[in-house]
Amino acid sequence: MSPQAECSTPSYNLNCRMQSEAAALERLCQVVRVRGFRISQMSMNSGNEHLEIALTLEGSRPITMLKAQLEKLHTVTEVVVQAQVGVRSASA
Amino acid sequence: MNGAQHILDAFHRHNINTVFGYPGGCIMPLYDALVDDIGVEHVLCRHEQACALAADGFARASGDIGVCIATSGPGATNLITGVANAYMDSIPMLVISGQVPSPLIGTDAFQETDILGMTLGIVKHSYLVDDAQALPTIMEEAITLAQSGRPGPVWIDVPKNILLTDVTAPVATKTDEPESQCPDIAEALAMLRSAKRPLLYSGGGVSLARAEDNFRQFAQDSGMPSVVTLKGIGNAGKGHPHNLGMLGMHGSRAANKAVDECDLLFVIGARLDDRATGKLDGFAPNARMIHIDADAAEINKLRLADLALRGDLNQILDAFTTALAKAPLSICDWQKQCKTWHTTGGFQAADNEESLAPIAGPAFIRQLSKIVPDNAVIACDVGQHQMWVAQHYEFDHPRHHLTSGGLGTMGFGLPAAIGAQFADRNSTVINVTGDGSFMMNAQELATIRRYNLPLKLIIMDNQCLGMVRQQQELFYKNRESHINLDDNPDFVAMARAFDIPALHIERTDQIRRGIQAILAYDGPMLLHVAISREENVWPIVKPGGSNKDMIDETRRTSASTKEQVA
Repeated sequence: MSPQAECSTPSYNLNCRMQSEAAALERLCQVVRVRGFRISQMSMNSGNEHLEIALTLEGSRPITMLKAQLEKLHTVTEVVVQAQVGVRSASA
Repeated sequence: MNGAQHILDAFHRHNINTVFGYPGGCIMPLYDALVDDIGVEHVLCRHEQACALAADGFARASGDIGVCIATSGPGATNLITGVANAYMDSIPMLVISGQVPSPLIGTDAFQETDILGMTLGIVKHSYLVDDAQALPTIMEEAITLAQSGRPGPVWIDVPKNILLTDVTAPVATKTDEPESQCPDIAEALAMLRSAKRPLLYSGGGVSLARAEDNFRQFAQDSGMPSVVTLKGIGNAGKGHPHNLGMLGMHGSRAANKAVDECDLLFVIGARLDDRATGKLDGFAPNARMIHIDADAAEINKLRLADLALRGDLNQILDAFTTALAKAPLSICDWQKQCKTWHTTGGFQAADNEESLAPIAGPAFIRQLSKIVPDNAVIACDVGQHQMWVAQHYEFDHPRHHLTSGGLGTMGFGLPAAIGAQFADRNSTVINVTGDGSFMMNAQELATIRRYNLPLKLIIMDNQCLGMVRQQQELFYKNRESHINLDDNPDFVAMARAFDIPALHIERTDQIRRGIQAILAYDGPMLLHVAISREENVWPIVKPGGSNKDMIDETRRTSASTKEQVA
């Protein structure tokens, strides 16, 4: 991908709260990948029962579609998405 | 009660009395518990893929959850295609796989695979049980989840040591789904009333929601012309006056024309699959769209809806029917127009008058449709025969038509038919298959014989992979590549080797007697139907093309539906 193309790809901050279980992260990342987004940054805090996951994503598909797919996961309790400042959102 | 016994106990509590499985090393404690169990019939298929597809067929025909069981490693991986098939078509399924004992997980133990990781993309949810005391909660949650909302497969991977551990945790209580509220339909009703050319577009979601009766009432009372997806076939019932049949790649010219001309698309329980819509740019270009579905993620996924209603289809359809009873729609001109299109551009097959002529696929399916009882279940495989059934068989109910819609799984039909026969041992179940698909799960003839299922098998044999050959002919300059199956076995002899009687027919005048003979036989029977290698499914839209650009049988050239239907 050319630098120019990279610059034009919308970028998002996505925060996800999900129940802690063995495959939680894989489950989340699998949906992100298959629905057309790339993870450029990732961090996670784990509490007793929940994981708080923060992702920075890049992708040209509507982010609302990814949000809807993530919310379908049985162990996901909340998804919050924010378009990164200065980058045009594909769905907004 | 150990883990294995607890799983069977959960089956009993949920009235799960038929499961499809295949034993092996790590699942042996569950099979040991089955020895003493009364109430769960275990059906031994001859391949784990067939176990999953039979569970799928059971669920489709009955509306209840289908259950399949396999051991770890190859047993579990063999289930994958069947589970993916259920996922793509939103079929409620519970999958139980054995796993190597917990301490051995991650050591590359004998018959160890990371089945949880492998299947993340084809399940609604999945569990790897790491604590026997969690099993009651997991079983309860999994069985409920598979059947709630938009149904789907739920996979429980159970290490062998968990199956053998005493479960002391109390039985989890059944969780009732919260009652759903019917969304406000006022705005949608206003859109419907203002439309001059509204079109009803329904899919598999209608029967998944068990909303067939409410759908029919609504279809009848609204009087809207109606098109269906492959999985929606049968929604409107037999003889619905405004049904234009299936739309899409192999849909009728009338159905695609109506989509092209409508000014409101009223979508119910359908996900606007690419095989139905064709190229989205040219799909229903003049229409606003109301999208009604149980799954929020389907709304706006492929085409923005002007208005979306999410909720229980029964409640929503009932609300529309009640409203329309007070003031019906005035769409007589549109109804007449669609009826004209249906007359000139509906599915048609020439009834070959020449009795000695070779059998034509569509004509055979038309005869089949006329002869078999209305409540017969037809389990198709994938390919040309599948499309001929979709086009020419008149179904009275969507649960009578078992077809692999989303995944397009060759080999689906025979095990699915086995599952449907277990769902109702007295029903007439017919597997309509092709020579390519049949060979993908032919080992299940042994299952039919073992349980003496009165299944009827019809192989439409064109000695090749017909759908691939057709597309190579039309879109790859007729360069045939690896589609030839003229070295097929003698299917009649093959069936007889499994102690299943079989007949061969090849002429038009043999169709009726052939079908009647297999229906009259009190037991399983196979009808081998020789058809032409060169026959194609018409019409067809080039993959990725617009539904406007259908290719017609006579001209075999791209032309707009406007020209063809007018």
